[in-house]
Amino acid sequence: MSEENKNNMQPSSPDTKSTVMRERDLKKTAANQTVGHILVKVMVYTFLIIMAIVVIFPFYWMINSSLKTLDEYRAQVPTFWPQRVMFSNYLEAYNAAGLGKLFVNTMIVGVISTILSLVITVLSAFAFARLEFKGKNILFAGLLATMMIPGELFTITNYGTVTTFGWKNTYTVLIVPFLVSVFYIYLLRQNFLQIPNELYLAAKVDGTSDLKYLWRVMIPLSLPTLISITILKMMGAWNSYIWPRLVANDEAHRLITNGLRNAFTETTGDVNYPVQMAAVAVVSFPLFLVFVFLRKYIMKGVSRSGIKG
Amino acid sequence: MKTKRFVALLLAALMVVSLAACGKKTESKSSLSIPSGGYDGSAVTIRFYHTMGANLSTVLNAYIEDFNKIYPNITIEASQVGSYDDVRNQISTEITVGDQPNIAYCYPDHVALYNLAGAVQTLDDLIASKEEVKRADGSTETLGLSDAQIADFIEGYYKEGQQFGDGKMYTIPFSKSTEVLYYNKTFFDANGLTLPKTWDEMETLCKKIKEIDPESIPLGYDSEANWFITMCEQNGSAYTSATGDHFLFNNDTNKAFVKKFREWYQAGLLTTQTLYGAYTSGLFTAESGTRSYMSIGSSAGATHQRPAADADGKYPFEVGIATIPQVNASSPKVISQGPSVCIFKKDNVQEVIASWLFVKFLTTNVDFQAEFSMTSGYVPVLKSVGQNSTYADFISKADGGNYISALSAKICLDQVNAYYTSPAFNGSSKARDQVGKLLSKCLAATTDDVDKMINDAFKDAVDECEYAQ
Amino acid sequence: MVDSKQQWKAWIYLAPAIVLLLIFTVWPIINTVRMAFLENYSGLETVGGATFKFNANNFVKVIKYKKFINCLKNTVLLCVLTVPISTMLALLIAVGLNSIKPLQKTLQTIFFLPYVTNSIAIGMVFAAMFNMVGINIGAPGQNIVSAGIINNLIGLFGAKPINWINAGSEYFENIAVMTVYIVWNALPFKILILLGGLQSINKQYYDAAHVDGASRRRIFWRITVPLLSPMLAYVIITGFIGGFKEYTSIVGIFGEKMGPADDAGRLNTMVGFIYDALSTNKQGRASAAALILFGIILVVTLINLRVSKKRVHY
Repeated sequence: MSEENKNNMQPSSPDTKSTVMRERDLKKTAANQTVGHILVKVMVYTFLIIMAIVVIFPFYWMINSSLKTLDEYRAQVPTFWPQRVMFSNYLEAYNAAGLGKLFVNTMIVGVISTILSLVITVLSAFAFARLEFKGKNILFAGLLATMMIPGELFTITNYGTVTTFGWKNTYTVLIVPFLVSVFYIYLLRQNFLQIPNELYLAAKVDGTSDLKYLWRVMIPLSLPTLISITILKMMGAWNSYIWPRLVANDEAHRLITNGLRNAFTETTGDVNYPVQMAAVAVVSFPLFLVFVFLRKYIMKGVSRSGIKG
Repeated sequence: MKTKRFVALLLAALMVVSLAACGKKTESKSSLSIPSGGYDGSAVTIRFYHTMGANLSTVLNAYIEDFNKIYPNITIEASQVGSYDDVRNQISTEITVGDQPNIAYCYPDHVALYNLAGAVQTLDDLIASKEEVKRADGSTETLGLSDAQIADFIEGYYKEGQQFGDGKMYTIPFSKSTEVLYYNKTFFDANGLTLPKTWDEMETLCKKIKEIDPESIPLGYDSEANWFITMCEQNGSAYTSATGDHFLFNNDTNKAFVKKFREWYQAGLLTTQTLYGAYTSGLFTAESGTRSYMSIGSSAGATHQRPAADADGKYPFEVGIATIPQVNASSPKVISQGPSVCIFKKDNVQEVIASWLFVKFLTTNVDFQAEFSMTSGYVPVLKSVGQNSTYADFISKADGGNYISALSAKICLDQVNAYYTSPAFNGSSKARDQVGKLLSKCLAATTDDVDKMINDAFKDAVDECEYAQ
Repeated sequence: MVDSKQQWKAWIYLAPAIVLLLIFTVWPIINTVRMAFLENYSGLETVGGATFKFNANNFVKVIKYKKFINCLKNTVLLCVLTVPISTMLALLIAVGLNSIKPLQKTLQTIFFLPYVTNSIAIGMVFAAMFNMVGINIGAPGQNIVSAGIINNLIGLFGAKPINWINAGSEYFENIAVMTVYIVWNALPFKILILLGGLQSINKQYYDAAHVDGASRRRIFWRITVPLLSPMLAYVIITGFIGGFKEYTSIVGIFGEKMGPADDAGRLNTMVGFIYDALSTNKQGRASAAALILFGIILVVTLINLRVSKKRVHY
């Protein structure tokens, strides 16, 4: 029995009843239908816009706070737009946290680890999607199982490992341990699987090598997934906090989130919240920018390979 | 299908593990054999972890340069690791893989933790050494400390290095601070208020202030943990013990003062850092709305207790600094805090000796101690700093405005005999943590049965400490 | 079928991934299990020369510890609250977005914004919004120094300010804030997936339904939900896995004390519990707790998979 029928049978409130009746009436004339259509549209838009406001409000509040003086920030009745706009907070944040060097470090780590990670992911996904070998399924299931383990647990052992390798306070230590992501391999494999196998077989008959085929056919066809992996990986470098703090917290290699926190950790005294909010905003901005421009690719990548199987 | 695979995998993993061998063990040497001549001039790199901000790092770097003039082959890599907890966490992880730094800022309970691994170098052999070390400029210095040098340390600070149960010296004091009472002198003068010597007087005073300004919270106390421990010390009641049963703070005297302070808090007479949600200096320096007229905080944070100056450089009110109230004014007790430094064991004995030379260079250097103290508001650990002309000049300028750090240093120096430290053992930092939480919980919790709530909170805190053992 | 050349190639392609995984994933897992079964294992004490008995006492000690039960309760409660709420909201928003033309792109972008944030940083913004500072000045009715924007908004509707996250707040209020924040954080990913799913549903189904004169609600439950069920299953399963690992969002709001000022640790979670054990150098107990967490996630995921096998229409 459908939901609607159930509702009809139950003693419903006058409100629902009238809606139901209206719905029936609507079917009768085309004119009424249009009215109903508009009504539904208005409701949909209202709902979406309210939700959008809820979603965007914290960002607005972050920017609003970042432009206030400390006194205004602390005021009993918050103001929705700063009385005195303090762009200087941003300059102060930039200098206080030494954001320039932090940006550079983060970009180096982000770019290199993204490139290497893509190569490894593509090769592995290809092997899982196209090649036949003994133990493939068990290996794949094993990989997926590791996704369920809380990553925090790896930290203590990995710390010992990288120190033994003498990698502390290098870019290597920020890049290598996280190059392989089972999640990305899984995403890309799903994507590769959707490309008809006939193409591969045909290519083999033509004598095209695997790598050439990968480069010419599979990579272009799964570009959206690769782009979304790139973005996720870059975001990872941008947001990573616990690991870098442990293994590379020297000036030369410090990453952005750590720098941000270090700059606003004081042993005594008050934190200047507006400046802190300004720093948070500066750090968030590049990600927003990337996101706004590449939203399409993220959408395509994730929705194409997200599920199936 | 998939389920079976998961289970099989899990079983396989378990089997591998049950076969895996046990961890490695490293032997650590306890005594140090100092080669003749001490430091042999070889190139070593010394890593120094600290928590200094930019200002203090600048001071430090200048003295590292001076040090390198006499020992050019000793490279000092000083790094600011974060907060004191960050230093502790990072080092305790690094010890497990043998990668600890050479020198670190430390509190006594950090050392107790590192001692689980036997990683901290005892300093007695170094202090006693009569070896003559050659410097780059051809002169020599005695490796150990002379009697005069030892006597120059403020005795209480120096003895802190020996509080680890075996009588050996593990740390050297670096810079110190205590808690002081900041008060709004302008307000006190205008209303004819007098400074409280005891907690009883404090209660009367807070009530009086509340009558004058009902919207105020008369007193802010920054550190709940310090407060609890200091009250134990002032009352002569048990807190912790380094030997035997460690956690002794669950007793009636302590419950009584907690209950009393709860009444104050509930009457709006006081707040603390955790309960206020920020350093209470923010409340103290506020010029309108809800504000406080007294604030108890670190003597090293004096500049934060000063309100912002106006365009002409004038301060809206004058800050006074005094000693904190006591239970018994005739035997005062104030907490001694601020970092010491410890040296870690290393296979290369030259690294250890070089570390010691650097530590000695900083801690016995009157100029460094003076400059460091003037920059930070910390109190120097050497008596002779008082005779240093720059520092004496600095102290003589003490006032509630531009020279507020000097004022707070002066108050600290005046009460050198009142300093206490609490026992350091593995778990002492947990106890400190727990009593802080305990106090804030008991002050603020909403409950119908206060005594039961307090009893439960004390019991919980002890349980927590025991669990962590 | 499986020729040996392919075998070779496959292993070469997989080599970098496998080597790195062995070092940085598999070995830590093995080491974790080892530490979990060594009673009171501590890395520091190992360096000091201590040895540890091989038994399951770490597990016993962790399970008997009442803070652990508390962490488990918080984790489960947050999961049970946030996964359904965020999934429902995401579904409604995705369906709404899918049905409109003008403004669709703009709204999409807005809904995805939280996806690119650092949960500690934005958590601080949320904390500021729900904040009340210096709340007790004694006299009833005038005990707020500075209230966050949320309480001001509530005030506009005439309600009294609520103590959300500060000292003296109630568990219920804390959980409410956490639920709002976690849902806010979880929405973009879910909307992304569900909207992607919706856009790939063949329009013919809807056309056929319209011809049959089915109502909107009927279409929603009879066509949209079943056709979307693989995506729904996916977001629910990943939601639960993520939910059981909840940690940074709570740090964002409450800081590392994991609770309101007067009751630190009240909102601690399983992962937080593991961190606590690590920071006190009790790697043995931390490992035991982590294995318990892993076990729970495994069981919940298997149940989820079983349920979705019956319900999901491929």
